[in-house]
Amino acid sequence: MDKIKEPSMYSTRDLSYDFLGIHFENPFILAAAPSTDNLDMVRRAFRAGWAGAILKTTSVEGTKVDLCYPMMSSFDHEGRKLFGMGNIDLISEHHIDKVEYNVRMLKKEFPHKMVAASIMAGRKEDWQSLVERLEKTGVDMIECSFSCPQGNIGEDPGKMLAQSISATELTARWVKEATKKIPISIKITPHVTDIVEVARAVKRSGCDALTASNSIQALMGIDIRSFAPNPNLGGKSTYSGMTGPAIKPITLRTIAEIARNVDISILGTGGASNWSDAVEFMAVGAGVVEFCTVVMHYGFRVITDLKSGMSHYLDEMRFSSPKDIVRKALPNLAMHDELPRRTVRSHIDKKLCIGCEVCYIACQDGGHMAIDRGSNRIPDVDQEKCVGCGLCQHVCPVDSCIGMQVAA
Amino acid sequence: MTRIKQGSIQKKEPRSVIRVYPQGLRESVISFPNNTMNQQQATIESERCLQCYDSPCTVACPTHIDIPTFIGMIRSGNVIGAAEVVKTSNALANTCGKICPEEIFCQSVCTRAKQDSPIQIRELHFYATQMESRKGFSRLKVFSTIDGAVAVIGAGPAGLSCAFELTKLGHKVDVYEKDGIGGVPRNSIPSFRLANDELESDTNFLSRFFKTRKEDVNARLFEEIRHHHKAIFLAVGLGVDRPIGIPGERLKGVLPVLQFLHKAKIQPSVLSIGDRVVIIGGGNVSLDAAATAKRLGAESVVLIYRRSESEMRVWKSELNEARRQGVEIRFLTNPVAIVGKSEISGVMCRHTRLSKEKDESGRRVPVELKGSDFVIDADTVIVAIGQSVEAEWLEGFERTENGYVKVNKNFHTSVSGVFAGGDMVAGEGTIVQAVANGKQAAHTIHEHVSKKLR
Ligand SMILES: Cc1cc2nc3c(=O)[nH]c(=O)nc-3n(C[C@H](O)[C@H](O)[C@H](O)COP(=O)(O)OP(=O)(O)OC[C@H]3O[C@@H](n4cnc5c(N)ncnc54)[C@H](O)[C@@H]3O)c2cc1C
Ligand SMILES: Cc1cc2nc3c(=O)[nH]c(=O)nc-3n(C[C@H](O)[C@H](O)[C@H](O)COP(=O)(O)O)c2cc1C
Ligand code: SF4
Repeated sequence: MDKIKEPSMYSTRDLSYDFLGIHFENPFILAAAPSTDNLDMVRRAFRAGWAGAILKTTSVEGTKVDLCYPMMSSFDHEGRKLFGMGNIDLISEHHIDKVEYNVRMLKKEFPHKMVAASIMAGRKEDWQSLVERLEKTGVDMIECSFSCPQGNIGEDPGKMLAQSISATELTARWVKEATKKIPISIKITPHVTDIVEVARAVKRSGCDALTASNSIQALMGIDIRSFAPNPNLGGKSTYSGMTGPAIKPITLRTIAEIARNVDISILGTGGASNWSDAVEFMAVGAGVVEFCTVVMHYGFRVITDLKSGMSHYLDEMRFSSPKDIVRKALPNLAMHDELPRRTVRSHIDKKLCIGCEVCYIACQDGGHMAIDRGSNRIPDVDQEKCVGCGLCQHVCPVDSCIGMQVAA
Repeated sequence: MTRIKQGSIQKKEPRSVIRVYPQGLRESVISFPNNTMNQQQATIESERCLQCYDSPCTVACPTHIDIPTFIGMIRSGNVIGAAEVVKTSNALANTCGKICPEEIFCQSVCTRAKQDSPIQIRELHFYATQMESRKGFSRLKVFSTIDGAVAVIGAGPAGLSCAFELTKLGHKVDVYEKDGIGGVPRNSIPSFRLANDELESDTNFLSRFFKTRKEDVNARLFEEIRHHHKAIFLAVGLGVDRPIGIPGERLKGVLPVLQFLHKAKIQPSVLSIGDRVVIIGGGNVSLDAAATAKRLGAESVVLIYRRSESEMRVWKSELNEARRQGVEIRFLTNPVAIVGKSEISGVMCRHTRLSKEKDESGRRVPVELKGSDFVIDADTVIVAIGQSVEAEWLEGFERTENGYVKVNKNFHTSVSGVFAGGDMVAGEGTIVQAVANGKQAAHTIHEHVSKKLR
């Protein structure tokens, strides 16, 4: 007999809330990328349960999109595929007419989903005509890519728009000027000396939000026999934009730093792979979270776990809405000189220890030579020598075997 | 996790200490009995899952659990979500998580096996349901209700699954069970393989959804039930041990296997089996009996089987367990009589060889070798050559060639409005197949009843 559809038996939780004046079914949306460049793909994503999508970046007619292939590469870390993903993609090849059509169709078929467009241009007239044209389609939001790491339409060749404070402010003003009522988000890059300055510039421009942050410029690898870099295009290559799990801590810091200093809404993107990553992004200030690499790897179906995991998390925390998570961790971030100075010592749980002595060698060669070999391969911590750096805790392969004891 | 540890602290340290762990590692210190995976093992194992598209494991599981989805949830730390996915498809999720023969289902087709080794799917779903029962069950929907009731007779895996699925579909269900609920897993499967609380975490959950009446259904009661219900699902299993039909079968000391396993499970203290036990039969049930006899203290346990090892239809895990316990298995040996005065003293056996000819099961037919008779001494003989459907009250039902109750593809029997599933229609099977039957039958019953209503 064929697979039958079992009736659902669990009560589902409402994950919806308002952000930027838009109603979101849940906090999970698709970032501007290949997954949002095709009408059928977005339709499938919406049916699967995604709350919204930012269609892949488009520009004015006449902008040449000169792609080269292959464009993808992977940072495989010791057996783990796509720990980081590299791309040398450019913006969408689709004409703005096509993007307008896609927005109209999607808004008609899925009126309750958030449909946004992403744009990129050079001249003032181009930015403004893109905004005007798109706003007429009923789009819910416009995201402006000031941070495409490859094709740059910024002021200096090789420089991203968001790497210049003045150009960011000026361009963001043009965009905001041209909009009637929909919110505008500026997608920025973490490749700047001071992200707060960029965020302030966007705030001054009157734009509504920041999308933080785009891919990290990276050289994805070198074949050590042929010396061809990745991705290999006939022996040649260039720098990629790296995304995926490897960049999560960088994004987390970027979002936190903006949220701590500038009063502006943030859409989080860059390295979120599951619901708990999304919770972290929100806890440091993101209002919603955009996903790309995890979807390119595993498909739209990951939304099932995103929603389910978020629901159970909210239950566990007794939060009434995903909104309750936003900024929860910010009060706990402090400057280094504000951190408590305490006496900390390593403690090894001898019942859990499996005797690999990895902590021994780490402390011996990278810590403070405070771990002794002990008997039966079960190490002892010399409380006099241990400074409590915590290295041993992180090299230990057994969860919770080594803990840091804090003097009360 | 905050733990106070004092023993190993040096004088310099103040007395009370707080242990700080890296985030997210709290649960891993909960350890399970029976070598259940801990959080770290489950995370590492789930990380190995390739998340194949249209995954073969899901197809191979008779209840079609969405395996990649629940494994992905374990990987992301959403164990409650994982348990929900498993339980949505399989009403006896915890029981199957413990003793489902994954080697013949999901795990046998795992794509990852082509790369290195299969994912431990069953262990992962046991982990999910165990974690859920520790953390507290998920909130259930309020099910809609349709007028009138459906009856389920027999609260084994098939009956329970059908009753629960019918509840989900909006039906009021009355369950009739002559014993406690749980069927063979409760009555016969040895507790060293399935502990009572492991089964009960399923049955306690399920029994909240329907009324269970303790009744041994007979012809009269059956008619009454029929009168009061819109449809009936029969799932009485295979309650009767098949007699072996050789001389000496009625001697004291000869035990049919289900009786033996049942006693061994509920009152092992009153069961005296002596030092030497002979088991007749070559299936999983006989292996359970052999391992149980060993655990009850028998010095020598000999299992006799008329074919060779390759014809034995058993799960490797069970065979290994029996051997590990020290059970001796004698292949190509056929019992011809049980010998003794009033009590037994042994089993007269004859050697066999396998002929070229094959029987309907596709296995080579054993032929007895004349003049090879010998006796194996025994204090107890356990007969485990199969079971059949009990009850005169089922006489009106058309049967299959093998004597099981015949159903069509909608699980409908030859009697109008009466459906059946599980072992009583398919012969000795597995829990997961019985659960799948019950679930599928619930959907056809739902259709049947809805049509009737219209
Ligand atoms: C020893 C043994 C070990 C096994 N080990 C495994 C294993 O490890 N893994 C696995 O997957 N499968 C195993 N199986 C097989 C599995 O237990 C069965 O396939 C499964 O239980 C069949 O379920 P069922 O609901 O059809 O019938 P049963 O489990 O037989 O349930 C039938 C129920 O109906 C009740 N009943 C019967 N007659 C009446 C009546 N007249 N009135 C009211 N109630 C009645 C019975 O009391 C019983 O509760 C094993 C079987 C045996 C015998
Ligand atoms: C192949 C590819 C193409 C992308 N194209 C665009 C684009 O056209 N415009 C844009 O703003 N971001 C683009 N991005 C960046 C994503 O929108 C997203 O910000 C980034 O992948 C980080 O999120 P992730 O770690 O979830 O993938 C692209 C990313 C990838 C992998
Ligand atoms: S993923 Fe699909 S489109 Fe991309 S290279 Fe492979 S086959 Fe071609």
